[in-house]
Amino acid sequence: MAVLEVSDLRTSFRTDDGVVKAVDGVSFSVERGKTLGIVGESGCGKSVTCLSIMGLNNRQNTISSGEARFNGENLLEMSSRKLRTLRGNEIAMIFQDPMTSLNPVHTIGRQLVEAVMLHRDVTKRDARLRALELLKAVGIPRADRRIDDYPHQFSGGMRQRVMIAMALINEPDLLLADEPTTALDVTTQAQILSLMTSLQEEFETAIIMITHDLGVVAEIADDVVVMYAGKVAEEGTVDEIFTRPYHPYTWGLLGSLPRLDADLDRLVQIQGSPPSLLNPPRGCRFHPRCPYVMNVCRSVVPELLPVSHSPQHLQACHLDEETKDQEVQKLLEGTLAEAS
Amino acid sequence: MSEDLLVVDDLAMHFPVTRGIVFQKQVASVKAVDGISFTVKQGETLGVVGESGCGKSTMARCLMRLLDPTSGRITFAGRDITHLTRTEMRPIRRELMMIFQDPYASLNQRKRVGFIVAEALQVHKIGTPAEVKRRVQELLDVVGLNPEHYNRFPHEFSGGQRQRIGVARALAVNPKLIVCDEPVSALDVSVQAQILNLLKDLQRDFGLTYVFIAHDLNVVRHISDRVLVMYLGKIAEIAERDLLYAQPKHPYTGALLSAVPIPNPELGRLRRAIVLEGDVPNPIDPPEGCRFHPRCPRFRPGHCDVEEPQLRAFGAGHGAACHYPLERWPMSGEEIRRADEEAVAAG
Repeated sequence: MAVLEVSDLRTSFRTDDGVVKAVDGVSFSVERGKTLGIVGESGCGKSVTCLSIMGLNNRQNTISSGEARFNGENLLEMSSRKLRTLRGNEIAMIFQDPMTSLNPVHTIGRQLVEAVMLHRDVTKRDARLRALELLKAVGIPRADRRIDDYPHQFSGGMRQRVMIAMALINEPDLLLADEPTTALDVTTQAQILSLMTSLQEEFETAIIMITHDLGVVAEIADDVVVMYAGKVAEEGTVDEIFTRPYHPYTWGLLGSLPRLDADLDRLVQIQGSPPSLLNPPRGCRFHPRCPYVMNVCRSVVPELLPVSHSPQHLQACHLDEETKDQEVQKLLEGTLAEAS
Repeated sequence: MSEDLLVVDDLAMHFPVTRGIVFQKQVASVKAVDGISFTVKQGETLGVVGESGCGKSTMARCLMRLLDPTSGRITFAGRDITHLTRTEMRPIRRELMMIFQDPYASLNQRKRVGFIVAEALQVHKIGTPAEVKRRVQELLDVVGLNPEHYNRFPHEFSGGQRQRIGVARALAVNPKLIVCDEPVSALDVSVQAQILNLLKDLQRDFGLTYVFIAHDLNVVRHISDRVLVMYLGKIAEIAERDLLYAQPKHPYTGALLSAVPIPNPELGRLRRAIVLEGDVPNPIDPPEGCRFHPRCPRFRPGHCDVEEPQLRAFGAGHGAACHYPLERWPMSGEEIRRADEEAVAAG
């Protein structure tokens, strides 16, 4: 059963220069115990999608529409009070920077206890025991002593572990992780990722993992959504996205990645940079940067449709499947023509 | 290609830790870089990798003489530059440039792009104003920016474009060596690819030599000819690029390689990662013996924590500082431990 079903989510911000459509009709769902990876360049709407689901956007200047059904209830229409009981309890979030998301003037023990007592009717002593249990579960050495330390006394990787402990302390059904390992070293990243997968197995949490690192996605996701300029470019299982990607943007992302398992002299590069969402290009939003651009791309917005060989694999591109299969082959052989 | 452009010999940089306000006395020192030696040949790229806090950036700053090393010697283009004064250093700075990590913090936001790129030319008194302007426009063109953007301010550019400005600035005086300190870490993958391709093209066109510092092993593999792995201020391993990635000898290199996420789910599932425990230890009080021993899967008490391993040669140009180097690759953490026990049993 799907823990979260997002359909046709749209989020716009009113700014002085006009309305920015940061998320423009995004749909996906996450099952219990599964991981959904959302990838894309910065500014493509990954984080805003996440914040909209959590109801954390500034209500003053945000217009959200669509549906985000969490265990059957629409989060977007929920009252602030109701949302507050869900956040940190049934839905938890981990942010990119563990230093700014922990309160520097309180000990981590106090912050963890607060997270428990806010949602559970327990004594402070029990809450502290629970906090200690979680700190041990995330692998903090000498947890019984470190619990009274302040955030600055921990290293980056350790702080991120504390954040994970805090997120999982009330055994959430859904965990939103916004670039949780971007600020960390590869070795620490490997520790955190293996921790997240083992805790996921234990608690059966559904995870939405936002990242721009395709390597991380390949490692831990079951399904992948590729976003570009506020829209879904491609969506499918991790194997399909990495072995038979069907959108030129995904090709660009995969080709621009230096990797250990292939020898390339030059990387494929996507020319230019993502468009301003204040005034997105007409037609397919990727067309100004796409090397396969055709006339139809400039005027008609491609629909997100299933590919012929697999109904779960969706893509939004006008290019015909035959050409795509050839290009995918070239990409996997590392000979894809440079996007220019 | 065989000329040594940069020779670093036993370089060390210790920062004093002091106590007291008026009468400061030194109570300890942070050994950020502690005795490293290597050479960089003309026209090659030396990649430097390691976790944060292992002394990569301090080393870069010593090479640039932005810090005065505690001991050791740096020879650049046949000349010892370790103890040159600021004035003596100035003509050499033309040939030694740096690209920084943060494209937002490394450009003066109050100056126009034209000024930023031309500054080095003006410092070294090269060319008339008209020539400088022409040169700057040419440089902007070389790095893929519109020469018309001469009069814009840095905030008008995106992160990738700013990094291009940083590259143009470094190129302005035709340097021989460019030290790149994490030049692509702050960028998106697509932009990162653009900058990496640009750096490679420039190297080919202008015969540049790079010291390329990064924590991303994929990036380093892509751009480097040789790779140096640092751990807590020391060299763990140094080798030709292909050799290092195919046959790492140091367990730390092995652990780093196995921790890199592979963008291929099938291969990823087959791979057996060695997950290192803990963090890089405090460089004020580094572990005795081999500095990696508290985290090493091959740790042998009584040897690794007593005797410090020296850099041992494994064939041409391949050195690793380990008492119990890896026999083959790939190995899982379990196999590494087991192979070690066998070695112990065999005496």
